[in-house]
Amino acid sequence: MLTSSLSASRERPSNQGQTLITIQNVEKKFVTHSGDIVTALSNVNLDIRENEFVSVVGPSGCGKTTLLRILAGLSWVTSGVVKFERDTLQGPRSDVGIVFQQALLLPWNTVLDNVLLSPHLKNDRSESTRRRAEGLLSFMGLAEFTRRYPFELSGGMQQRVAICRALMREPKILLMDEPFGALDAMTRESLNVELMRVCAEEKKTVLFITHSIPEAVLLGDRVVVMSPRPGRISEIIDVDIARPRSLKTMADTRFGEICDQIRTIFGSEAPTASAL
Amino acid sequence: MKNGGLSLISHRYQMLGLAAILLALWECICRYGHVSPLVLPAPSGVAVRLYAMFSDGTLWPHLAVTLTEVLVGLGVGITSGLATGALVSLVPAIERLVYPYLVALQTIPKVAVAPLLVIWFGYGLTSKVVITALICFFPILVSVISGFHATDRDQLDMMKAYGATALQTLVRLRIPSAMVLIFAGLEIASVLAVIGTIVGEFVGAQAGLGYLIMTYNFNLDVAGVFAVLVILSAIGMTLHGITRFAGRRYIFWIRREPAAVMAH
Repeated sequence: MLTSSLSASRERPSNQGQTLITIQNVEKKFVTHSGDIVTALSNVNLDIRENEFVSVVGPSGCGKTTLLRILAGLSWVTSGVVKFERDTLQGPRSDVGIVFQQALLLPWNTVLDNVLLSPHLKNDRSESTRRRAEGLLSFMGLAEFTRRYPFELSGGMQQRVAICRALMREPKILLMDEPFGALDAMTRESLNVELMRVCAEEKKTVLFITHSIPEAVLLGDRVVVMSPRPGRISEIIDVDIARPRSLKTMADTRFGEICDQIRTIFGSEAPTASAL
Repeated sequence: MKNGGLSLISHRYQMLGLAAILLALWECICRYGHVSPLVLPAPSGVAVRLYAMFSDGTLWPHLAVTLTEVLVGLGVGITSGLATGALVSLVPAIERLVYPYLVALQTIPKVAVAPLLVIWFGYGLTSKVVITALICFFPILVSVISGFHATDRDQLDMMKAYGATALQTLVRLRIPSAMVLIFAGLEIASVLAVIGTIVGEFVGAQAGLGYLIMTYNFNLDVAGVFAVLVILSAIGMTLHGITRFAGRRYIFWIRREPAAVMAH
């Protein structure tokens, strides 16, 4: 757990403001098919501030997706409190944007209609909204594809559309669940650069889940390191590398040091051969 | 994919070529193999008989009766199948209560019920429409139910996270994704419809292509029977082609391979 006083001493972008999301003593238990109780999250405490990019990294089964589902309003805490600004979180909110591992576009709708999903659900079919969607798509380099259907697009392009769809809600926070995990390494890197550009432009708060340590460090202001069984936060690390960052940042010494620091955390918790 | 069109055309020619060879073989066996035309008529004989049926007008009233029975029966079967399927899928209580009975009903061979239906609904159009509708009903029902069950869980989560109401999720996600399987059900039903009508006509009728087959058979007019079979298969292929075409237009996002059995 990291208190705000500790992180305040570190270098961070000046535009970060108030706490947007407060997660206090959150515990989540599931009952499996065989009737066993599994603790997916235990004693999770985290504050997410406005305009902050928080990466969450950890091996599978560490509860990082459960945490995101709780913030998205798709799952409930067993105990503890999740507050959005001052309100306790109760179900999906209209000011939260979410991007899943799969693009999950509606295959029978055009790219533009997919991006317009949120306004359409609110019966907003105005010209200005449509222009904003087209603006977002061209900002993402998809201007020529607005009338196409998702199956005509590559996986990386589909995920860009999904990001546009999430941004259309003008979210206060963007929740991203391993959004580039299903893509090849090259596409993944270019989308990382793209995402940094979007965040710089749109001033978004982001919670970004990944299992790639370099990706977490490259994108994040802070990296939340999680461990499995039970899912918990083992450490929160500040990434004191100045922005704007690029793929060249990955060649920095400091970048390597932080990545190593995170690997050490995983290494110290994994059962070693000598322990057996 | 680049020369897909070309290979498709050459594939068509190969298929037609095979048909021509088989027909020629059949013709030779009948002509030079001393096969009685009472057992197996030559293709040329069938063609002559077919032409005669069209030109002397014997075919038209029977064709009209059968087509009406097939289309009305198919229509009733599709409508009731869609309605029941939607009800069963969308109201869980009904699914628990009614579905076991529907499955039990499905296990009864519809052909075996046909004589009863003729007693109940008479020798006219109604009994054939009922049999056809019954036969078409179940594939539609099953396709609707499994179609609704096939909605992607992640997509449902996505709609929920984006604040969609239950009705919006139904209209924007569940119905469109069910259409893939529903069209598969429609294809099956369109083929079964002809079978249903002919079974009904065999059991008891005063007109129709099934009735015509029974009459020709009784008179040992085997070429006539073959001629009617050609017409029946043309009706089946046309119906199947229409549903398949409609399906491909409607569910354009699925570029599926042709089904193993139904492909032509």
